[in-house]
Amino acid sequence: MRNVERLCLAHFWVAFAAFVVACVLGTWQMWVRSPLGAHLGTPGQYFMSVTAHGVAMAYVLTTFFIMGFGYFVAVTALDRPLPGKQWAWSAFWMAIIGVVMILVPIGMGQATVLFTFYPPLTASPWFYIGLVLVVVASWVWCILMLVAMREWKRENPGRPVPLAMFATVANAVMWLWTTVGVAVELLFQVIPASLGLVQTIDVGLSRTLFSWTLHAIVYFWLMPAYIAFYTMVPRAAGGRLYSDTMGRLTFILFLVYSLPVGMHHLMMDPEHGNGTKFIQMLLTAFVSIPTLLTIFTITASLEIAGRLRGGRGIFGWIAALPWQRPAVLATGLAFVMLGFGGFGGLINMGYGMNAMVHNTSWVTAHFHLIFGGSVVIMYFAIAYEIWPRLTGREHMSLAPLRLQLWLWFIGMMVMTLPWHWLGLQGQWRRVANFNYADPLIAGWGPWVIVSLAGGVVLLVSALLFAYNLFVLHRGPSMATGRQLYALAVHPPQRVPAALNGFGLWNVLVLVLMLLAYGYPLAQFAITPSPSAIVHRVY
Amino acid sequence: MSDTPASELHELDRPWRIWASVAVMVILLIGILLGVIIIPVVQGRNAGLDAYTAICRALGIIPGSPARQQIVDRTPPTPVSQVTWTADVLQILANANPERGRAKVLEVCVSCHGEQGVSIAPEFPHLAGQSGAAIYKQLHDYRTGSRTHQLMTDLAKALEEPAIADVAAYYAAQPKRNPNLATLAESPKPIVRLVELGDPSRNIPPCASCHRPGSGGPIETPILSEQGRDYIVLQMKMYASGERRNDVYGRMRTIAAKLTPAEIDGLAAYYRAGFR
Repeated sequence: MRNVERLCLAHFWVAFAAFVVACVLGTWQMWVRSPLGAHLGTPGQYFMSVTAHGVAMAYVLTTFFIMGFGYFVAVTALDRPLPGKQWAWSAFWMAIIGVVMILVPIGMGQATVLFTFYPPLTASPWFYIGLVLVVVASWVWCILMLVAMREWKRENPGRPVPLAMFATVANAVMWLWTTVGVAVELLFQVIPASLGLVQTIDVGLSRTLFSWTLHAIVYFWLMPAYIAFYTMVPRAAGGRLYSDTMGRLTFILFLVYSLPVGMHHLMMDPEHGNGTKFIQMLLTAFVSIPTLLTIFTITASLEIAGRLRGGRGIFGWIAALPWQRPAVLATGLAFVMLGFGGFGGLINMGYGMNAMVHNTSWVTAHFHLIFGGSVVIMYFAIAYEIWPRLTGREHMSLAPLRLQLWLWFIGMMVMTLPWHWLGLQGQWRRVANFNYADPLIAGWGPWVIVSLAGGVVLLVSALLFAYNLFVLHRGPSMATGRQLYALAVHPPQRVPAALNGFGLWNVLVLVLMLLAYGYPLAQFAITPSPSAIVHRVY
Repeated sequence: MSDTPASELHELDRPWRIWASVAVMVILLIGILLGVIIIPVVQGRNAGLDAYTAICRALGIIPGSPARQQIVDRTPPTPVSQVTWTADVLQILANANPERGRAKVLEVCVSCHGEQGVSIAPEFPHLAGQSGAAIYKQLHDYRTGSRTHQLMTDLAKALEEPAIADVAAYYAAQPKRNPNLATLAESPKPIVRLVELGDPSRNIPPCASCHRPGSGGPIETPILSEQGRDYIVLQMKMYASGERRNDVYGRMRTIAAKLTPAEIDGLAAYYRAGFR
């Protein structure tokens, strides 16, 4: 480590502070929507809370965590100092200012537009300008990641970039592509409307631009989990990574196929032709490939570890794995949640099935299970794994860590499985309350209460997580530094340029994006559609 | 390794470049072939559409689904109000001149609605601090006959289009009085609940979901805070009976018809007090 500990810790603490607050809000929301808390809050308070919850989880937790993790990887995987550390600190403070600018209008009830905005609803301009600052700060991070990799390549010509850094840069490149959509939406449509410069807004266009961002942003959040799967988990389990090439292919496939697929969020929208929706639906199917590659590779890597530890037979290696280690446990639990969540995702992806679940709780449950479950549990695992390296201290006991991970897993399953079920029964999403006096809705009540119980377990787990990290700051000093990153079974000596950089893949992304989004965006200029009246909520 | 000659590296990289590009393009072509040609043509044939129309619809070049005929409704529309919130109308509102509006107010409106927008009699609405779009819509509706009143219909017809916006802007700019917090605190709980949560068992949405600056109502929603009690009661009864019918989609007629007289009275008292 070369003096980036403070930088990384600052990012992580902001991320996790936002996370804990958002968990409190989330639990409150579950409560007031359940029969137990009906009539406790007003819809205005509910949507204020949902907006804060969404913004804190989707923008603050993720962006700060990913930036901090990226700086950590750039220094530890490349084993060289971070270039442009002052820029990194400036970006951090810019993002902090952005977060304050976002949170104040939400707290004042001037931004009840949820984290996905829903134009023509328009919040206070400060809300959007704050968000732009956070995005610009993340762009600084992307550039620093690219510079770090380029400088390392110059110093090590012909050598393969370490997988952890290659994946981090893949995420940075993807994020630069991803944010173009929302940046254009905010700068040219929403912020002018919010400032009162225009009175109408083309909602079809803004939804299309947001869909450009909306799917890839989820992969931006997901990538750290996958980086941990490939580069940390095999080592934590005491084995080796089954294939380094598989890892590179996975991250490249995420870059290529997470972008031209956003229109599957618009399948119920009238502004696009069925053919364009079909093409993007097909491309969406290919996003499952990197996930399947990962499950295969990581399972194989764990099998290597299990057999090295004396596991025998077809399944004996599973029992032989060191499940007491948080990274291994979290991976097992994440895979279970990924299994359920991925299955739900396949349903959302299909045009016909999506039509049945689109505006129901099914979708809310799905993204909580995938992101809040699989991804966030790996954020915990990463924090537990690298916090000792940042603080130079050891965990006193792993038991509270395991308890916290189990609570998160149990809470998430108990919360989201009934939630999926309610979605299938037609429980709508984006509403503040339900009328349990209605006989149809009354039947949902017990399941909503089960869900709420899951939410309470999650809150306990979130608090325990923060406690575990606090305790670590007082833990005993670390005796010896263990190696963090896993070696591959066959460590790569030389990889083709296509697996060591992103030039080719950027060209392919450009071609795919032009074909997938070219006409769908151009049509708004060719035949302007009727615009909606800007509806200001402040 | 670093000692590999550059030409050899290039040779090793080439298959990756070629096959990666081919793989991505093949997937894309399959998508285009299925999504834009085969499926629409087959579905279109079943729906009685020719291949060209089906493909254009799949591409989104012409509107409609390639899988079915579009239902065309030839019933002439009978809107309850002639006001459409086009960009032009919004621009007229944005460009309105309160000074010109004041002159017109002193000439026409002052005798009932007062110079400051505080009306002289309980049957006339207060206009101080009212939403400009709301005043504009009501005046426009009086002009076109969507709403009628023995005095207002003729007065509004005498006003030209920009003058309506000017008058609206003038009254919108007048300050509201301070809400009477004491009266507000006395509001009975069921009334407050009706305002804030509605009554889902009767499909009554919360009043506050529209009648509060910054909430989800359409642009023409009037601000009810500090409105006269008698005026609100009268309008609600007219909505309930269908005598007043210039509310788009019949929203207020639907809601008012479900309210009891006691609730109407309670709500009017609540809004007279203001809610801020």
